[in-house]
Amino acid sequence: MLIVNNLVKKFNTTLAVNNISLTVRPGKIFGLLGPNGAGKTTTIRTILNIIKPTSGEIIFNGNPITYEYYNIIGYLPEERGLYKRSKVIDVLVYFAALKNLSKKDAINFADYWLKKLNIFEYRDKKIEQLSKGNQQKIQLIAAIIHNPSLLILDEPFTGFDPINQQEVKDLILSFVSEGKTIIFSTHQMELAEKLCEDILLIDNGRAVTSGKLTDIKKNFGGNNIRVGLAGGLISQNQFPEIVKIDNYNNYSDIQLRDDIIPSEFLKKLIGKIEVNHFSIIEPTLNKIFIDLIKENSNNI
Amino acid sequence: MKKILAVAKWEYLEKVKTKTFIISLIITPIIIILFSILPSLLFREEAPKVELIGVIDTSGVYFNDLVKELDKYKLEEEQKNYVLINFSFENQIFEELIITANKNIEKNLIEGCLILYHAGSDSVSAEYRTKSLGNFKNVERLEEAIRSIRLKMKLEEEGVDTRLINYFQERVVVKQMQVDEEGKVSEGDFITTFFVSIIFILLLMMMVVYTGQMLVRSMIEEKSSRLIEMLVSSITPDELLTGKIIGLSLLGLTQIFIWSVIGISLVAGALIPLTAFNNIVPMLFYFILGFLFYSSLFVGIGSTVNTEQEAQQITTYLSLILMLPVVMAMPAIQNPDFIVTKIFSYIPLTIPTVMILRLNIGNVSELEIFLTFVILIFSIFIVTKLSAKIFRIGILSYGNKPTLKEIFKWIKE
Repeated sequence: MLIVNNLVKKFNTTLAVNNISLTVRPGKIFGLLGPNGAGKTTTIRTILNIIKPTSGEIIFNGNPITYEYYNIIGYLPEERGLYKRSKVIDVLVYFAALKNLSKKDAINFADYWLKKLNIFEYRDKKIEQLSKGNQQKIQLIAAIIHNPSLLILDEPFTGFDPINQQEVKDLILSFVSEGKTIIFSTHQMELAEKLCEDILLIDNGRAVTSGKLTDIKKNFGGNNIRVGLAGGLISQNQFPEIVKIDNYNNYSDIQLRDDIIPSEFLKKLIGKIEVNHFSIIEPTLNKIFIDLIKENSNNI
Repeated sequence: MKKILAVAKWEYLEKVKTKTFIISLIITPIIIILFSILPSLLFREEAPKVELIGVIDTSGVYFNDLVKELDKYKLEEEQKNYVLINFSFENQIFEELIITANKNIEKNLIEGCLILYHAGSDSVSAEYRTKSLGNFKNVERLEEAIRSIRLKMKLEEEGVDTRLINYFQERVVVKQMQVDEEGKVSEGDFITTFFVSIIFILLLMMMVVYTGQMLVRSMIEEKSSRLIEMLVSSITPDELLTGKIIGLSLLGLTQIFIWSVIGISLVAGALIPLTAFNNIVPMLFYFILGFLFYSSLFVGIGSTVNTEQEAQQITTYLSLILMLPVVMAMPAIQNPDFIVTKIFSYIPLTIPTVMILRLNIGNVSELEIFLTFVILIFSIFIVTKLSAKIFRIGILSYGNKPTLKEIFKWIKE
């Protein structure tokens, strides 16, 4: 379990991170979300012990950060790149050595992961001879070769095709079932929604919202329904109860005024148009993200 | 410690395999060989071949004496250096004689032609025509010969005793000897020792520039790909820096080792006289310390740059500083106690190169060597400390190049 308490990081006069707290439970994926420049990287760097926080504490499995901590964290930075002119196996052994693995173990683990990710044939090739997707796989292996118990992945899916994305997703899920502590930072809300149990949304260095994703969705509220129509369309002018309507081919998503009870609205609707589907829907994480960030920037 | 060694090993092995390193290994010795053979070729005492020189002397007064005078210059195995040919044919006028001589020079039949105007009178003047104007030695010898012939003629005319004339003609040669610290006197071979020190300075400069550039380039790669973040989430920046400096120094030592092998074989091949290496021990020390000093400087500065161009600029400035002794070599030779030279021998940036130069042009006291060693070692220590501070922040800052003010702030943090 990783606990970050009241983290503050100041660069000269700018507050990059302003009093952020988070708890990452083992066996769960924690989503660190926020727009560009929100302070995600700074937060990650302090957790990684790359930079010292101005104040606040970071506790992993009951202990504050020590030198040993370096050997149990794995980190995949957002921007990708490796020693282009070096051999795949050499690079992997080097990163393993920096995590205190013996050469023999390093080679064994490297071979294991290369096989698992279907790129064993490139073992003795130079990095620059590999496709971009395969280079990223190598970097992912470099981040996990030492079997870290705390794993920080910054945008791990960008640049992968759907097949490779699936492979990487399976890999991450296998770490979850092993009980690793995982922080996942991304802009892809759909993925975060599928993978993360807990999230922290930050903007301008401050926490905008945090907690269990299901709770956040519940609290975010919004009176949303989805209706399928047998024929015809609903227009906003017809019903004063509608705040916003998105029409799709087979259904329409409707946001109702907060004081309207959905079932009452359904009754009214049935009288006018033939309805073949009706459901109450939760807001998407994407919507929550956009709305909250907008609201937050309006408040400043 | 294990991790530091891992970094050192990686930096060393990955760079030793690069093209830049292999090229620097090959090109530099070629330059050394050129520099070490060139002086001995340029300053050979005797020309290696017999030279034919035409003489136009319508008076006939000088020719025979000239032959006698120039006979004293010998090649190996007692061969004459010069053979003079009388170009003053009786049935030709002066202008025609000159045209004939010109043709002979043109066709390379003779090396050159000495033309004496108004040879019979006191206001004699001479001209030496040749294809290669650079041969100062021949002109000097001809002048010397004519001067001594005229002196002898005049003295004989005035009835001076022949023995006295011979006495006047004798020249005293001043031989240069070098006295060292322990009072030992030796025949110093100035030119070669001088060139050896220039070679050492050039070697140091090239090594610093090559390895420095390699280091900065790899740091730019690590920074732009954010690899550096994976590195510093595995080891502390200080460990990374130490590992890099060790790796770089090993790289330097490899170069020195290979070049020494080449150097030793050159000495063995008698291409460079052993006397040129009288000061080899302190020179090597200055060399290695200088390299360490510049390496640690490069690591600090290198961590602040983001692009190849910025890196190029910095290496250019540093190599200019390293080249400084070559610029001040001449004033330093003429006056080893020149104050500017002395000042530069106490500035860490210029200690290695200036001291290598000074060691070979004059005697440097042991105290001075000791002091400069202390200054240099102390500065290596300081620069490494400062570099570590700059490195710690520099590796994580992207975008614009930091200003000097910002860098000072990093150091203070």
